[in-house]
Amino acid sequence: MLTDPPDRFAPYDEAGQPQVPIAGYPNTVRRHPCSLPLFRRPVTRTELTGPLDLTPKLQPGDSNLAVSPEGRPAIGQLIHISGRVLDEDGRPVRNAVVEIWQANAAGRYFNPLDQRDAPLDPNFIGNGRALTDANGDYAFFTIRPGAYPVPNSGRWWRPPHVHFSILGPGSLSRLVTQMYFPGDPLNVHDRLLNSLPDPAARELLVAREVSTEEVDGEWLAYRHRLVLRGRHATPPLP
Amino acid sequence: MSTNAPLPPTGWHTIGPFFPRTFFKEGDNDLTRLSPDAPPTARGERIILHGRVLEEGGGPCVNAVLEAWQADAGGRFRHPLDPRHADADPCFLGWGRAWTDEAGRYEFQTVMPGGYADAAGMRAPHVNLSVLGSGIMRRLVTTVFFPEFALVNGQDPILLALPEDGLRRRLVAAEEGAADSIRRFRFDLVLHGSPEEETPFFVD
Repeated sequence: MLTDPPDRFAPYDEAGQPQVPIAGYPNTVRRHPCSLPLFRRPVTRTELTGPLDLTPKLQPGDSNLAVSPEGRPAIGQLIHISGRVLDEDGRPVRNAVVEIWQANAAGRYFNPLDQRDAPLDPNFIGNGRALTDANGDYAFFTIRPGAYPVPNSGRWWRPPHVHFSILGPGSLSRLVTQMYFPGDPLNVHDRLLNSLPDPAARELLVAREVSTEEVDGEWLAYRHRLVLRGRHATPPLP
Repeated sequence: MSTNAPLPPTGWHTIGPFFPRTFFKEGDNDLTRLSPDAPPTARGERIILHGRVLEEGGGPCVNAVLEAWQADAGGRFRHPLDPRHADADPCFLGWGRAWTDEAGRYEFQTVMPGGYADAAGMRAPHVNLSVLGSGIMRRLVTTVFFPEFALVNGQDPILLALPEDGLRRRLVAAEEGAADSIRRFRFDLVLHGSPEEETPFFVD
């Protein structure tokens, strides 16, 4: 069990977080409070704590998305995504649940709600779940997702991206984000990425390419760090 | 790694429209069991917390993901930041996940949470809810209270963070009777509406 969970949660820096509404994404209006402000609340025990062992419920073990359950390879460029989950003090977050999901190489999701014309790959479901290890590290094999146009959005395309959902050691540590690929020409036009006002914060959503000389295998490798909210009261506050 | 300056937390994004349905397993919305095949906890009163998530115009917010977090029936969390965590119910996880159907409906099976004394004041029995969904770029967080604890609700520091009674009443679930002797509580989440109907949400 975790002995030193973070116990200080400062408000987010708004420049590093998405601002809404986003043009061409009507749900950022329809599903966002418009009459009431978000109310400030004190941080109490219930916000500081969170489930520490979710594995009986959210079972890990799907860390290779590139192969179907029957052992057949998915179509696409094989990639490896790994990285460390840290808190704001730079301490590794162990036993965090990391969930990812993504489109296939043609830019289509294996989801009945995605009805675009792009082909489905029967060997690519495109979601996985893993736990961070003692160093806070996670890793997935998958294929590089394709870009896709957002329907009825005025020719806005989503760049290739991987969705991440991380459950850390407190309910205030929760993070849902997306990872982008370095050098993709669609990144600078993406309205979700650009909803973060601070360019440095946007850059933190882009993975780092690992030199092919460092990779001992037939895949391209990316490193992606994730920082969950939360600091530690050591040394204690005055 | 050591650093003096804090690292900035990674920026949030929406889950988008395609959060995998395959992530959901039967029993994810049942807080009374540690896993789908585990027996339900014997401590506390089983209840159902359910309702609808509504978007602009009162239409259903389809395919939203709700996550619940709450204390056990004795008001304890299985977490080292709870000084009474050693006595927390070992058969109660306190966390569950539900997703809304085509009518925007969700349901959690859980136990009536206990209240407890907190450094910030007496906490009334409550369930924390987070809403994730396409277009919700950062989760929306709120807290659900129960009507039978009017006295302690009136002292709860989170309810008191709201400026008026009308808003506080909106965070209290409605008791709807019982089915199979399990009491049902209804709590609708209005994400976007008039000042008279919108659900109060908190800064995360």
